[in-house]
This record gives sequence, C-alpha cells and structure tokens, in this order.
Amino acid sequence: MFGLLESGFQQFYWGNALMLVIGGVLIYLGIAKKMEPLLLVPIGFGILLINLPLGGLMDYRLEVRSPEAGNVVEVQMHEGDRLKEGDIICQLDSGEVLAPIYGRVEEIKVSPGQRIEAGDAVASIITMAQTDQSKLPTEPLGLLSRIFKFGIMWQVIPPLIFLCLGALTDFGPMLANPKTLFLGAGAQFGVYSAFIMARLWGFTVPEACSIGIIGGAEGPTTIYVTSLLAPHIIGATAVACYSYMALVPIIQPPIIRLLTSKKERAIYMKPQLREVSQLEKILFPIISAIIVILMVPMSAPLIGMMMVGNLFRECGVTERLSNTAQTAFIDILTIFLTLSIGATLPAENFFLPKTLKVLILGVVAFALATAAGVILAKIMNLFSKEKINPMIGAAGVSAVPMSARVVQVMGQKANPRNFLLMHAMGPNVAGAIGAAIAGGVFLGMVG
Amino acid sequence: MIDWNLVAKIAGGGFGMVFFILAILALVAWITGLGVRKFSKTDSKSEEKKQN
Repeated sequence: MFGLLESGFQQFYWGNALMLVIGGVLIYLGIAKKMEPLLLVPIGFGILLINLPLGGLMDYRLEVRSPEAGNVVEVQMHEGDRLKEGDIICQLDSGEVLAPIYGRVEEIKVSPGQRIEAGDAVASIITMAQTDQSKLPTEPLGLLSRIFKFGIMWQVIPPLIFLCLGALTDFGPMLANPKTLFLGAGAQFGVYSAFIMARLWGFTVPEACSIGIIGGAEGPTTIYVTSLLAPHIIGATAVACYSYMALVPIIQPPIIRLLTSKKERAIYMKPQLREVSQLEKILFPIISAIIVILMVPMSAPLIGMMMVGNLFRECGVTERLSNTAQTAFIDILTIFLTLSIGATLPAENFFLPKTLKVLILGVVAFALATAAGVILAKIMNLFSKEKINPMIGAAGVSAVPMSARVVQVMGQKANPRNFLLMHAMGPNVAGAIGAAIAGGVFLGMVG
Repeated sequence: MIDWNLVAKIAGGGFGMVFFILAILALVAWITGLGVRKFSKTDSKSEEKKQN
C-alpha cells in the first residue's frame, strides 16, 4: 500500500527545512511580538505550506518546447526527476533541449529516434517558479497558484486592496497641513536611489524598478509593479516589502536618531490641526484622481481605486460600501494576497543570490526613504517660520500607520508634551499616494 | 553595460515627476481649503443677515 503513496520526505531537503524556520519566525513575530500579525501570520504559514514538498498548492505546469527541429538522440530525464534551470532534457542531432526553469518532470513526450519540429512539446514539467508569461506560459494547478495567477498576476487584488485602503484612510491631517505632501514626496527618494543601486548591482531595468518600489513601503504597489515588470522576483519583493513594513519599529528609530539632534526631536507641534470640512474631503479624492491619472495614466488602477474608496468613506451616502471595504472585503483580499505571497517562496526560489540581493536592497530602500523624509523636513524648517518636528518626515515612507506610530512614540520620549501622531499621519498618507504615483511612473517609463 | 542615460532619465525624471505631482496636489489641497473656508464664511454671514 505504501509503495503507492509518494511521501513528501523523499523530496524534502535542507532548503525546505530552513524555509520552515523562516516561516516559523514570521509566525512567531506576528503572534508573540504582535508585529503586523494580519500580514506576517498568513505569509509565514504560506511559506510553511509551500515548503512541504508535493503538496501542490503552488504548482504550475510548463510545456517545454524544442527550439529547433531534429531527431531525438537521447532522452536524459525521466518522469519524476528533479531538474535545475539549464539541465539537458533531451539530446537532438541538431542540439539540446534545456530546462528553462527548475521543477520536476511530469511527462516526457518524446522517445529516441523520433523526429520533432521546432516548437514541438518535448516534456511537461511541474514548477513553482513565477515566469514571464509572454515567454514561458504556465498553467496553474494548485489552489494558491490559481489565486496567485488570477488575483495577483492579473492585477486584480492589489488595486482592490487600494480601494479598501482608501476607505480606511482619513486624508484630514494631510489636508489640514498640505505641506506634509512634500514629505511624502521626499521619501520617494528612497525608491529611486534603490533603483539606481539595483541597476549597479546587475539587475535589469524592470527588476530594478520592482526593487526600488519596495522603498515606497506599500505592499500592493510593490506587488502590482513587480507583477507587470519582473514577475520572476515577485515573491522576494513582496515578502521583503511586507516584512520590512512589520519591522518599521526596528528599522526607522536608529536612522531617525542618527539624523536628528535631541533638540530637534523635542520640537513641539500643536496637537490640534485645523478642522477639515466634509466638502474638502469629498473634493480631494475627485480632483486628485483627475490630476494624477491625467498626468500618469498607468497609476489609474491604484490611484483610481484608492480615491473611489476614499470617496465612499467621505461622501456620507455610501456608508455600507465604505464599511464593507474597511472590514470584510479587505480581510478577504488580505487572506488571498498574503497566503499566496508566502507561497511564492519555496526554497528553490529563496536561496538564489538574486533573492538575497533583493532582500538587502529592500532594507536599503526603506532606510534611504526614511532618511530622505527626515532630511527634507529639516530643509523645510530652514524656510518655515513654524518649525515642524523633523521626525514626521520619516512617516513619509508610508507603511501606514506603523511609521506614524513610531514617530509618535519617539516624539513622546523626546518631549512628553508632544503628540505627533496626527501630524505624522499627513506625510504617512501622502507617502501612500506618492508610492502609487511612483509605481505608475515606473510602469509608464518602463512597462 | 549600464545605459546611464536611461537610468538617469528614470531616476531623475521619475523622482521629479512624483515630486511635481505631489506639489500640485499640495497646492490643490491648499486652494480648495482656502476656497471652501471662504465660501462657508460668506454663506454663514448671509444666513446671519437673513435671520437679522
């Protein structure tokens, strides 16, 4: 009986074990340390599920086709064999047919002596790799690979999450103090400097754009841009973005402390912001959607959805839509998104030099975005009568509302009279808008 | 071989574009706020006059 049952142990190797530890750490951080549990727990569990071999949750089928015509001399792979990118599947008298990605052989479709034409299928392989569908089209077979393909690669879930974020976001603090929009813009410096670094480190332009956008600290934007520009690194960029968002309380404080003096951190800001009328809150999403989409059409799915969600919230007559977007709808989308994002990291995808480089560049992008926001706030203080606490510039990296909370905590430590949360929410939501625009600009220039 | 011209266009042009758009949004938010407050003041003054 057991001879018929293929066990996962046969395929389990040290890489899977290490990934189980990484998934476990994310689950631990989410549950025990309460770090973004809604993100880290499902991402961690997704990593865990996908590293239990033969579960098939994230499987894709790929037909390997012969690049040239010829007679099959020798078949070097057999059904069930594991293969790496570049392994020879079969030898032709005119050349070789190589595996375009890693995976395991599902079926060999040729035999020695057989004549094949260019483009004929030689084998079908099962893989968990994300491929460029225009070059290597795959068919999703598993539960999570279907969700991933039709939800994420078809760019459905990220814009819908933006709709929910719009419904959850109060633009009031930003409208009360519009100059905080500059801080959100300044923080996008991290996106573009990480782009340059990624290019210097050997990534292609589309890959560098996808890595740079991690600095925007907006998970859906990162996933949206990467799915269009560099789908093969989507697992790494998404996990980097969400993990670093959860680690904002660890990443940001040392950078803020490094760039500000104790006196600057103690700068007092009046806790009360001016009251923003409902009419202003209704006009802003409408006007800004028109302006931004006219200027950067590629940002329409993200900015358009965010602004319509915000209009649901503010207009006062679509309370039901707003409530749904703020609660059940975003929860459902988050479950789909995070589980399938975690599932993009089987050991075969993770332990690649490219993935590790993405993780390093991602944290650099976060750090540079934080630094740029703080420095811009200091520059603004040189020209402004009413000084702002430069720490609120750090909230321009988005990561709503985590980075604003970090600023609030640090502000209270430096000056117990200070209550910076509402002031930091301005650059925080401006950062979310800025990241979506930056994503649209990348797509417009490179996509 | 890195095409530095392209990199500069994307990084410099992209960052400039994002900054420019957010600056416009800041201006729009400021003008809208100003307009709405002025409008609501005039509105409340005319209502007061009517009541008097």
